[in-house]
Amino acid sequence: MSKIIDGYLYTEEHEWIHVEGETATIGITDFAQSSLGDIVFVELPEEGEELEAGNSFGVVESIKSVSDLYTPLTGKVVEKNSTVEETPENLNEDPYGGWLIKMSVNDSSQLDSLMDSNAYKEFCESL
Amino acid sequence: MSELKRTSLYQKHLELKAKMVDFGGWEMPIQYQNLKEEVISVRERVGVFDVSHMGEFYVTGRQALDFVDYIVTNDIRSAAPGKAIYSPMLNEQGGIVDDLIVYKVSDSELFICVNAANIEKDFSAMSQFASKFDCKFENLSQNYSLLALQGPQSFQVLKELLPEINDIGYYSIQILESEKEVKSFIARTGYTGEDGFEIFGSHNFIERLWSEMMDKGVQPCGLGSRDVLRLEACFSLYGNELNDELTPLETGLKWTVKMAKDDFVGKKALSESEPRYRLVKLSLEKGIPRAGYPVEDDNGQQIGVITSGSMSVCLGKGIALARLDKNLYQDSEKLNINIRNKIYPAVVNKKPFISGRTKS
Repeated sequence: MSKIIDGYLYTEEHEWIHVEGETATIGITDFAQSSLGDIVFVELPEEGEELEAGNSFGVVESIKSVSDLYTPLTGKVVEKNSTVEETPENLNEDPYGGWLIKMSVNDSSQLDSLMDSNAYKEFCESL
Repeated sequence: MSELKRTSLYQKHLELKAKMVDFGGWEMPIQYQNLKEEVISVRERVGVFDVSHMGEFYVTGRQALDFVDYIVTNDIRSAAPGKAIYSPMLNEQGGIVDDLIVYKVSDSELFICVNAANIEKDFSAMSQFASKFDCKFENLSQNYSLLALQGPQSFQVLKELLPEINDIGYYSIQILESEKEVKSFIARTGYTGEDGFEIFGSHNFIERLWSEMMDKGVQPCGLGSRDVLRLEACFSLYGNELNDELTPLETGLKWTVKMAKDDFVGKKALSESEPRYRLVKLSLEKGIPRAGYPVEDDNGQQIGVITSGSMSVCLGKGIALARLDKNLYQDSEKLNINIRNKIYPAVVNKKPFISGRTKS
């Protein structure tokens, strides 16, 4: 059973979103790291980049595969986690500690379509 | 979509909680618990792959050798009985129909092992020529299962399970006389760059052998680690580096083409053709190359394409094989790979990333 944190929001692409005030922190879930396998490369957007909901903002690569990262929100990148780019393997160990980007939330109504921890748990079990 | 085929070890893969995928119409294990561990096991100890999906053809009769020597580019005639020979098989235009291994039991008895996805294509192409020779040509793929036991400890492990085997040389074979259900044999061949054996036998025999290997703690390995291992050893994969449109002279297989032979299918076309491509080995300090990514020169002009790419477990960096346009590639040692519209520098390697580890 993969780990899911209460109070976070989740996407069908297996990203977690933690909203604090006007800022959302985004990462990949335990389910995502486990299905990817050994993560060996992470590519993130630069600070200041404008992201559009539904678009790819970076990639996570395992030895054999490339997975796009999607943002469910529109806003600006306020910080990226450079540590995770240098030591991507830590995402396998601690996917909730190894956040990817922090971004501004322009339109908080976009959060309404995301799953809460219970809904995400059910979603994972249905796969 | 037709139903996926399964090997005789299918249930055992499920019991081991393997992740199963569709591979050329077969439901095969891509990985068990951890791909990296699988690669390391093969490089440092021993691992086993179920490759029963591959095809086995059997040629017997007075002109068996003449037939096989005619349909492949390599020299089967002068190989001693008991040897295995890697070779492409061409169409009349010189394109590669498949790459295969011929196991020469004797001049009148040969096995051919072909890629799973090409079994029907190969059998039909070969059958056209078989009728011109005094030989019997059969597709026995349904009767055989096949294991690849690979890694520095593979002889030690296999000897304990099959005491009758000898310490045979690289690309040699030994018939397993104790096996009666189908003609069974081991070959010191593989697709990993390590010492190792491929074991051809009946479904019952191979299932038993697999279970005994599991009991001995041999690491089960899937197609994912197999692909990383073969790429580290710079072995081509049919469908990636090789296909019906490319000649062996364009894919780094010139050493398998014996133009001195009297004749072979595709010889005429090959002698008249000018190679258009070159296959090169690339490594990157940063970034991971994947099949389909463009390869560019310093002016940003595309000069080729990545045919296979991965993160190398042993080197800890990105490695690839790339097909370059001969007219555009100027022998430069440094090239660029375009990864999602970003330029990553790559170095052309002269030697495989892993070499010299097989038995001499």
